[in-house]
Amino acid sequence: MGSARRRHRRTIASIAIGVLTACVLAGAAIAQRPAPSQPPSVPTQPAPPAQVPPPAPAPAQETRPPEAPPLPRESVHADVSTRRIAVTSTFSGTGIIVFGAVDNSRQVSAESGLYDVVIVISGAPSRLVARKKSNVGGLWINTSSVTFTSVPSYYAISSTRPLDEVASDDVLKSSGIGFDFVPMTFHRSARNLTAPEIKEWRDAVVRLKQHERLYQQDEYGVAFVGRSLFRSAFDMPATVTVGAFETRVYLFRDGELLSTYTTKLDLEREGLEHFVHRFAFDHPFFYGVFTVLIAVGAGMLASYVFNRNKA
Amino acid sequence: MNIYLPIAEMSANLFLFIGMGASVGFLSGMFGVGGGFLMTPLLIFTGVPSAVAVGTEAAQIVASSVSGALAQWRRRNIDFKMGTILLAGGIVGSVFGVEAVKALRRVGQFDLFVILSYVTMLGVIGTLMMIESINAIRQAQSGIVVASRQRGQHNWVHRLPLKMRFHRSKLYISAIPPLTLGVFVGFLAAIMGVGGGFIMVPAMIYLLKVPTNVVVGTSLFQITFVTAATTILHATQNQTVDATLALLLIVGGVIGAQFGAIAGQRLKGEQLRFLLAGIVLLVALRLAWSLVVHPGELFSLTALGRP
Repeated sequence: MGSARRRHRRTIASIAIGVLTACVLAGAAIAQRPAPSQPPSVPTQPAPPAQVPPPAPAPAQETRPPEAPPLPRESVHADVSTRRIAVTSTFSGTGIIVFGAVDNSRQVSAESGLYDVVIVISGAPSRLVARKKSNVGGLWINTSSVTFTSVPSYYAISSTRPLDEVASDDVLKSSGIGFDFVPMTFHRSARNLTAPEIKEWRDAVVRLKQHERLYQQDEYGVAFVGRSLFRSAFDMPATVTVGAFETRVYLFRDGELLSTYTTKLDLEREGLEHFVHRFAFDHPFFYGVFTVLIAVGAGMLASYVFNRNKA
Repeated sequence: MNIYLPIAEMSANLFLFIGMGASVGFLSGMFGVGGGFLMTPLLIFTGVPSAVAVGTEAAQIVASSVSGALAQWRRRNIDFKMGTILLAGGIVGSVFGVEAVKALRRVGQFDLFVILSYVTMLGVIGTLMMIESINAIRQAQSGIVVASRQRGQHNWVHRLPLKMRFHRSKLYISAIPPLTLGVFVGFLAAIMGVGGGFIMVPAMIYLLKVPTNVVVGTSLFQITFVTAATTILHATQNQTVDATLALLLIVGGVIGAQFGAIAGQRLKGEQLRFLLAGIVLLVALRLAWSLVVHPGELFSLTALGRP
């Protein structure tokens, strides 16, 4: 049973990758017929927005007999298009595609809308201080601050539908899904804050991070490409903090969380930029001396070049 | 072409910073000033964190003053004894300044402090220069020749103890005023990202009575070494020196300064000073405006490094 299932899973995964590659490459409507070994043939639509209701002439051949033993439980698995991304001096952001498949999918076609998939990519937690200005004698001055000991440096959510339609707040909260439930921890100096104050500070962090496009949400970002295959595109701005990223995929049906899957993604600094950053933080004194030497060298070179021109 | 600045942690167009370096370099070549007091506010306007702007600008001033200092040294226009005393004071001031930056950043008031310092300093200097240049232009038009200041008079500076002989400057004065001046200028260099020539040169001429021919060389000598020390201190204590950004500003700056110097020769001194005063006052107003007007967003975030 186990090995059969694994094989089955592998077939789906390989089809998934095949379909996806083709879709990405062609970028147009290509109806694909997967290998004939697959029980019901899957008509793949070119990732339309999930809410569009096309006729979908799917050969709806549910294998389920009316009063049979319970169906195998659905589970989800996924992967990212690039697992390791190098950030160099000319890094201007990158796009990532997350794709996955629902095992034992019971939906007839991509448009059935039986499942909801939510994908959350979160960056390494960082420490930060949030400050608030207020008017003191006519000047806008930072007057209060709150320290966060852990805030995801990047947080992107993509889902098949708006989150409030996917599941209840309690379910979303327990999994940390959504801007209202981004896992953040306050420094203990903030323990006297009231609930509305905490909300105000949290909202400010989310708002400012959203403004930098480090926090993003796409309510219709996940699209099913077949009865079990789905995909979603994410975008990371150039200011993203390097480190380990976690991609979590949640599978819901009727507001119930059926399965989750986690995969990793690494963003690394490379090239000159990597060198400069590591040098500055690991050997600050020599970095300072090095910067001065560059400045002296550049200044002397310039005066040599221009004086020679004058002479 | 966008470039990611590793310390400023921002991505911006490569040519924006080279262009900024060139514009400020042009102005400094034209007016014969350092340009740090224009570049630091400009970097802050672009979105570079103010502490990074200050630390990086120190590195740029090293580049722009080293060639001048060398040229003055070849012409024997440096009073090394005076310069060393100014430099000793400058390094002490810089150490205090860098610590002050560190403490102010910790409590989240560095931005405010930098802006207030700039508004005050640029406001005062701009106003004084404006008045002086308007008077000079009027006098030039009416054709009255005003007698230049009398030299050799003694003031309170000459009654202080610890007197030393400065052969190159032909002075016999106390070491306390140059030392204090050095400390003050070093402190300014560290907290504002300026060389401090605009304060040191008038103070040396009017307070210390140093002969004009050695003033520029000696102050350039001091500025080169103090800003070099400040760069290293900022890099060590605050990690706020962006070498990539500094290099871009330097490249733009050296080119701009050459053209600025040519343009400066075509304008009269008092007209130049009037123009510069106008620019200085505009920058001061723009900075003051950012403190007074309601900021769209009351909150701000500062990263605290790795947990």
